[in-house]
Amino acid sequence: MVVSFKRLACAIALAGLALTTMAAAADIKIGIVAPMTGQLASEGQDMENAVKMAIDAANAKGGVNGDKITTTTADDACDPQQAVTAGSKLVSEGVTAIVGGYCSGAVLPTLKIYGDAGIPFVIIGANSTKLVAANQGNAFLANSTGDMQAATAVELFKKNGYKKIAVVDEGDAYSSDLAKLTAEAFKSAGGEIAAKETTTAGEQDYSAVVTKIKSSGADAVFWTAYHAGGALLTKQLRQAGFQGGIVLGDGNNSPEYLEIAGSAGEGVYLLSPPTVDLLSGAADFKAKYKEAYGRDAGAYAALSHDVGDLIVDAITRAKSGDQKAIIEALKASDFKGLAGEIKFTDKNTLQTSNFRPVIAKGGKWVAVE
Amino acid sequence: MTLDLVIQQLVNGLIVGSFYALIALGYSMVFGVIKLLNFAHGDIYMNGAFVGLIVFSFVGIWVGNGWLGVVCALLVSMLVVGLLGVVIERFAYRPMRNAPRLSILITALGASMVLNGTALALTGGRHYAFNTDLGFAGVDISTVHITYTQMVLVAASIALMAGMQAFVSRTMYGKAMRAVSIDMGASRLMGIDVDRVIALTFFMGSALAAGGGVMAGAYYGSVHFFMGFIMGLKAFTAAVIGGIGSVPGAMLGGLLLGLLEAFGSSLPFVGSEWRDVFVFGTLILFLVFKPTGLLGRSVVERV
Repeated sequence: MVVSFKRLACAIALAGLALTTMAAAADIKIGIVAPMTGQLASEGQDMENAVKMAIDAANAKGGVNGDKITTTTADDACDPQQAVTAGSKLVSEGVTAIVGGYCSGAVLPTLKIYGDAGIPFVIIGANSTKLVAANQGNAFLANSTGDMQAATAVELFKKNGYKKIAVVDEGDAYSSDLAKLTAEAFKSAGGEIAAKETTTAGEQDYSAVVTKIKSSGADAVFWTAYHAGGALLTKQLRQAGFQGGIVLGDGNNSPEYLEIAGSAGEGVYLLSPPTVDLLSGAADFKAKYKEAYGRDAGAYAALSHDVGDLIVDAITRAKSGDQKAIIEALKASDFKGLAGEIKFTDKNTLQTSNFRPVIAKGGKWVAVE
Repeated sequence: MTLDLVIQQLVNGLIVGSFYALIALGYSMVFGVIKLLNFAHGDIYMNGAFVGLIVFSFVGIWVGNGWLGVVCALLVSMLVVGLLGVVIERFAYRPMRNAPRLSILITALGASMVLNGTALALTGGRHYAFNTDLGFAGVDISTVHITYTQMVLVAASIALMAGMQAFVSRTMYGKAMRAVSIDMGASRLMGIDVDRVIALTFFMGSALAAGGGVMAGAYYGSVHFFMGFIMGLKAFTAAVIGGIGSVPGAMLGGLLLGLLEAFGSSLPFVGSEWRDVFVFGTLILFLVFKPTGLLGRSVVERV
């Protein structure tokens, strides 16, 4: 008798479980994949918080197409192996769509998993051009890829009236690639490359290169490598009496640059990813974020929030939880968020670069208006 | 190249060359006395810059961030790092003095890694700002701009090197150093305290490197744990070009290397990325055709 009662209890419990699962399946479930542990855990936390904030706001307005949205988070720890485990977990949980991804290396192996399962995936932070090549058509890059930085650089050169540019890199793959892309883009936009120089990483004296730049008659210098060399170059250019503009690539987005360059850094331009401090319309978001989570919004919080809104928008336009329809809706996105416009190319990358020039004023980076 | 450009590159070469010369001098002195290529020398230079920065930030509270602060930092750093050089010699090199040449060379590499790794662990790889009030004021000769700081730096390093040369050639200790470098055993028989002379050599060589480190830190405005690596390589090159073991050779080699680099960046037809190829190519040419360098004496192998 006792035994059969236990069985009955089990059966009821199982039935109940089945019912709740069915109810959950009717809802829209969004998977968030981000580094929740490891060195970049702070960025991952920001991404999760900001996406949830967007989705909570949508739920408060009654959800999408009458359905509530739930979220589930998987930790990829910015590690390729753990990312595969996290990805498989999300797929087996039957999520409708996935957002997130901070490290390109960790996102890359998961593209196949999500691609084979046909799940729409909006990548927030990761922006290697390798992701574009491995994409099966279901993934979308909401952050600008490296080559878009060149476009932003050329735009800034034109806006500031620079006609002759000296491009300086450090000889590594990243900085020489950016230098090459920018030089090509500027030339095809009618500009002139007055000098193309390379320095040695770890070296302190750039005077020979500085002299060449000065004598080349360049209006401005574009430094494509990292902040340590950037600060030294800036200082030595100003010391030699170079009056022209100085523009830095995104590898210089570090407080150390401003510290080392000191007064020489004043008025220098930096091409920055859309970090929340530099977005003019994000003040309200920053305040709300701090109120909700008790911490300052990190660099990628604004873009993560945009992606949260974007996926809600796409599901609304798809009018269902059908994944193919959502992918089509994402392709047709015409979205304006805190970090800028999100419209995709036929390769599912951003149409317009979200890099933005900022300028050093009073020892701080401020937005260029 | 126009004349202005030539003059400007000449000035650039002299400034960076005087740093190379300072570091090469210590390299060369140590090699002269115990025939050791002290690979830790570049890291000594880096340590000098850090000690200088620490002293500078402390004394800056009282004397400001101007010349006085830099001079204080320079003197304290030379003393502290000179002693560090003595300690390294005492504990790393002295026990190895009679070991095969290769063992002591590897010990030197180990010492370099210890210094470098310690600095990395303590600083976390950060680049520290060495911000002085020295400013960019100077004189203009047509388009060539030379700051007062640059003039003082070159003068200071020449004074340090001249002092060193006078010490080695005029004083009793200098004579002892030269004697040890010629024949260690015979020097001992003549009543020279060889250990003491070697310690003194390390002190002076390390102090010069530290002086170079503080000057470079203050001049370029940034200090980090890896700054000694390239400098060590360049100083070695300078010492070889000038003739390793020779004090005036190290100075000449340093200045020459600085000039080679400055003009190597402006080579016709090729870009500045070829500069290091040019510079280290010169090193190889020297090693092949004139291994004793410009001012080095040819060594007769004793049997």
